[in-house]
Amino acid sequence: MVLRIVCDVFFLIGLIFALAGTLGILKMPDTFSRMQASTCVSTLGTLGVCIGGVLYAAIGMHSASAAVKIAVIGLLILITNPIGSHVLARGAYKAGIRPEKKMETDDLGRDFDE
Amino acid sequence: MSDMLIFAICFAVLAALNLYRLAVGPNAADRMVAGDAMDNLICCAMILFSLISGRGIYLDIALLSALFGIIDTILVGRYLEKGRGL
Amino acid sequence: MQKTKLPAVVATFVVCFAFWILLTWSFSAQELIAGAVVSLCVALFAARFFIHKKAGWLANPAKFFSCLGFWLCIFPVELWKANVNMAKIVFGGCKNVNPGIVKVPTAMKSDYGVAAVSNSITLTPGTITMEVAEDPQEQRNYLYVHWINVEETDPAKAGEAIKGTLEKGLRRVWQ
Repeated sequence: MVLRIVCDVFFLIGLIFALAGTLGILKMPDTFSRMQASTCVSTLGTLGVCIGGVLYAAIGMHSASAAVKIAVIGLLILITNPIGSHVLARGAYKAGIRPEKKMETDDLGRDFDE
Repeated sequence: MSDMLIFAICFAVLAALNLYRLAVGPNAADRMVAGDAMDNLICCAMILFSLISGRGIYLDIALLSALFGIIDTILVGRYLEKGRGL
Repeated sequence: MQKTKLPAVVATFVVCFAFWILLTWSFSAQELIAGAVVSLCVALFAARFFIHKKAGWLANPAKFFSCLGFWLCIFPVELWKANVNMAKIVFGGCKNVNPGIVKVPTAMKSDYGVAAVSNSITLTPGTITMEVAEDPQEQRNYLYVHWINVEETDPAKAGEAIKGTLEKGLRRVWQ
C-alpha cells in the first residue's frame, strides 16, 4: 500500500510537469519559447513516470526485465532529447524563422547575419 | 489498478491536446516540436499501460518509439538548415 | 576516414551485446552465441563512426566517480529548479517571458567537454544551445544560448547565471 502511494506521487509529479509542458506548447508566443516548454515534457515528465514505473515493476511485480527496460527508456529519452532540440532550434534559426516580437538581445544574428 | 489507468488516460489526453499545435502551428519547426512531445507522452502512456496489463510487449514498443523518435526530429532539423535531408 | 582500433571495437561490442540481452531477455546458450556473432559484426563495421578518441576513459575510477556524482547529485537539483521555474512561467499565463540569444564563453577545451556542457544546458528547461563557435586567437569556445528570460546581457555574468554550477561539476571530469 505504501508502495502504491509512493508510485502515485511520482506519477503525479510527471503528470504535472507534462501538463505544464503541453500548456506551454499551446500558449507560448513564438517558436523558440515553445521549444523551451517542450523540454519540460521530456525531462521531468518522462523521468517521473520512469522512476515510479521502475519502483512498481521491481518491488510490486518482481519483474527484473520490466524494471531494466523502463530504466533504459528513461535514459534514452534523457540522452537523445537535447540533440534533437539543439538541431531543431538551429535549423529553425537558419531557415529564417524569427519571433514576431523583437528579441531582447540577438548575438547570433549580430555575429552571423551581416 | 484504477489509479494507474487514470494516469494513463491523462497522458493520452495530453498527447491529443498536442494535435492542435500539430495542425495549426505556423511553420514546420512548431509542428515538429509538437510531434516530439506527442512521442514522449505516448511513450509514458505505454509504460503505464504495460504496468497495468502486465504484458512486456508494450515496453518493447515504447523502447523502440523512444529510440526512433529522435531520427525524424534530426531529419527535419537538418532539412530546415540545409534545404536537404541529412 | 579513420582506421578501426581494437578498444573502440570492444566498447561498441559491449554496448551492442547489452542491447541484445535487453531486447531478448533470455539466457540460453544459443541466443547468447547468436547475439555475440551479430554484435561482433556490427562492432567491426561501425566502431570507426562512433568513437574517435580513447575508448576506455571511463575505466579510470576517479573520473567514473566524479561523473557519477555529477549526474546523480548536482544535475538533478538544477533540473528540478529549472523545471519549477518553467512551470511557474507557464501556469502564470506565459506573460512575463523575455526571450533572447546571448553569447557565453565556456572554459572547456576538448570536444567531449563542450558537448557535455552544451547538452546539459539544453536539457535544463529555459535554455537551449543553438550554436558553438571557436575563437582561434584566444583558444576559447563560445556557446550561443537561447534564454527564455534574459536577466544579464554581459557575457561573463550571463554565463555564470546559466551554467555556473554545471560547469564546475563537469570540469572535474573533462578539461
